[in-house]
Amino acid sequence: MPDDFLVAADLTKSFDDLRAVDGISFTIRRQEMFGLLGPNGAGKTTTIRMLSTVLKADSGDVTIGGHSVTNDSDAVRELIGVCPQELALYPELSATDNLMFFGRMAGLGGAEAKEATRSNLDRVGLLDRAGDVVDKFSGGMKRRVNIAIALMSRPQLLFLDEPTVGIDPQSRNHIFETVLKLRDEGMTVLYTTHYMEEADRLCDRIGVIDNGKLIRLGAPKELKSEIGDPEQVTLEEVFLNLTGRSLRD
Amino acid sequence: MTRPIYIALIELKRYLADRGDLAFSLALPIVLFALMYAAFGQDIQFSGTAHIIDQDRAQRSRDLVSRLKQSDVVDVELHTLEDADDALDRSAILSAIVIPAGFTSALDAGEPVALTFKRRGSGGDEGQIVASIVSSVARDMAGQAQTRRMVRDELDDSIAADAEIDRKLASLFDQARETPPVAVEIRTIGGSVDFVDRMLPGIVVMFLLFAVTLGAQTLVEERRTGTLERLMTTRLGVNQLFAGKFLASLARATLQALILLSLGFAILRVAGPWVFVQIMIFILFVAAAVSAVGLVIGAVARTRDQAAWFAVFFTMFMTIFGGTFFDVGDTGPLAVLSKITLNRYAIDAMVAILGEEEGILQQGLGMAVLGGVAVVGLVAARFAFKTTEGGR
Repeated sequence: MPDDFLVAADLTKSFDDLRAVDGISFTIRRQEMFGLLGPNGAGKTTTIRMLSTVLKADSGDVTIGGHSVTNDSDAVRELIGVCPQELALYPELSATDNLMFFGRMAGLGGAEAKEATRSNLDRVGLLDRAGDVVDKFSGGMKRRVNIAIALMSRPQLLFLDEPTVGIDPQSRNHIFETVLKLRDEGMTVLYTTHYMEEADRLCDRIGVIDNGKLIRLGAPKELKSEIGDPEQVTLEEVFLNLTGRSLRD
Repeated sequence: MTRPIYIALIELKRYLADRGDLAFSLALPIVLFALMYAAFGQDIQFSGTAHIIDQDRAQRSRDLVSRLKQSDVVDVELHTLEDADDALDRSAILSAIVIPAGFTSALDAGEPVALTFKRRGSGGDEGQIVASIVSSVARDMAGQAQTRRMVRDELDDSIAADAEIDRKLASLFDQARETPPVAVEIRTIGGSVDFVDRMLPGIVVMFLLFAVTLGAQTLVEERRTGTLERLMTTRLGVNQLFAGKFLASLARATLQALILLSLGFAILRVAGPWVFVQIMIFILFVAAAVSAVGLVIGAVARTRDQAAWFAVFFTMFMTIFGGTFFDVGDTGPLAVLSKITLNRYAIDAMVAILGEEEGILQQGLGMAVLGGVAVVGLVAARFAFKTTEGGR
């Protein structure tokens, strides 16, 4: 079993004249929590869409668990779980219905899906609201359902694309704890966020993307030490130092 | 193979959970049906009142009043001459008919006698029709009296008494009514005049066409909210996804048609249960075709608005040029144009089945066309999805 669970090699993707991802290469180790940071429009989501088999790269390839995303995407889909930035769920259905549905789509049998639904709702603290319609949930609760759905396929690699956007501190903290627990249980996680303290707290290593290129890669402490005392410097200062202070879209 | 069924089930559950969709697609057929029933479900029948002044008060005038009372379309109100004149002056009534004294004796003697039709202005449509009905009954009675008199004159008094002659004549008149010497046959040029036979299939097909909009928007909406992309990261195959969406749309459209058709058959009593079953079988083909078209639009459209406009254009084109509520005939530009619409094949077949002119087995062409559209539509939708961003 290779130590590098995900290997992205020279990934490129353009939309018309815009080169969204420009020759990105990196690896994610098994059971690692890997952070992908970058300003808006830097290419984070496009990169995740290519890694998760949704978008086809113009060039380069990715292997996950030894399977090529390009040539063996079905095998890759058996290894991954995706929690997209948007709330990709059915608000008119209950939390249970949502999880059961995506569990069945992920290939679980009826009893298996039922058990996974119960355990994942418990994991995100929503077991007591299992039968409630998602539309009536708060923003934080919906985010937690969004994560629980991604866990239904029992993935080895979990993509979390800005999972804490626009939620209260309690829900955010609950998500942190959930993610850390998942890592402790052996799951590999790719995490994108705009919140630097989140990345600093959670991630083993961080890749910084800007204008479609990977401009820095390392542990938070290493990145901070590049511009000063890692005990004094914040990751936000590192980020601004790397990507500049000009406004982005 | 259970995934497409699961997709269809969850989609139906979402559909039933959305009160707006539910009201639109299930309650609307019921409302529309009620309107249709009010408009076409019952025969329009004249009903009027004959205001009679009986100055004769003898057997034949009482017969006349009695015959009018037996009529389904005329009620009788008896007045005195003074009351009737007063009511006419006040416009409380617009017409009155006076049976003069001596009406019975004149009729029996074969002497001329006249009913007087008093009216205010023209007497109104109702008054004129009532006068016509009263005249007709009076002429009928006069004819019978004359016949009776002629028979009596021809026979020896000892052979037949008046009562016996009357009985015999009544029997002969009844026979004449049952097999009239002159019958009127109505032939309709340019198709059926039975509105229900055409309107019911028309409305059913209209509602089936709504499946195009709903099906297209479902796919676009899933793309917008991100659930489609999320599904694409699971082990679900694209063919399974389309099969599930197709089944969901098929079930939803069939459910709508079932409700509408059940109401039609239960209330209008247009035909028997076997016709109902045959039409439902045929509806499956229509629902399959429109569901596939909905998926094509859903796969091609980039936004919800785009999907809605494509679907509305398709529905309008099919409805207008497909002879949905009128017969386009077999010749002329409209007839030619109608042959590229689903409605033409759907409605022609349903009208034929509903009118019990043909059965489901005679609808091979319609079923082949609709089934072909369903298959081609599914393949086209699948390929269109492949060309979209994130599709495969």
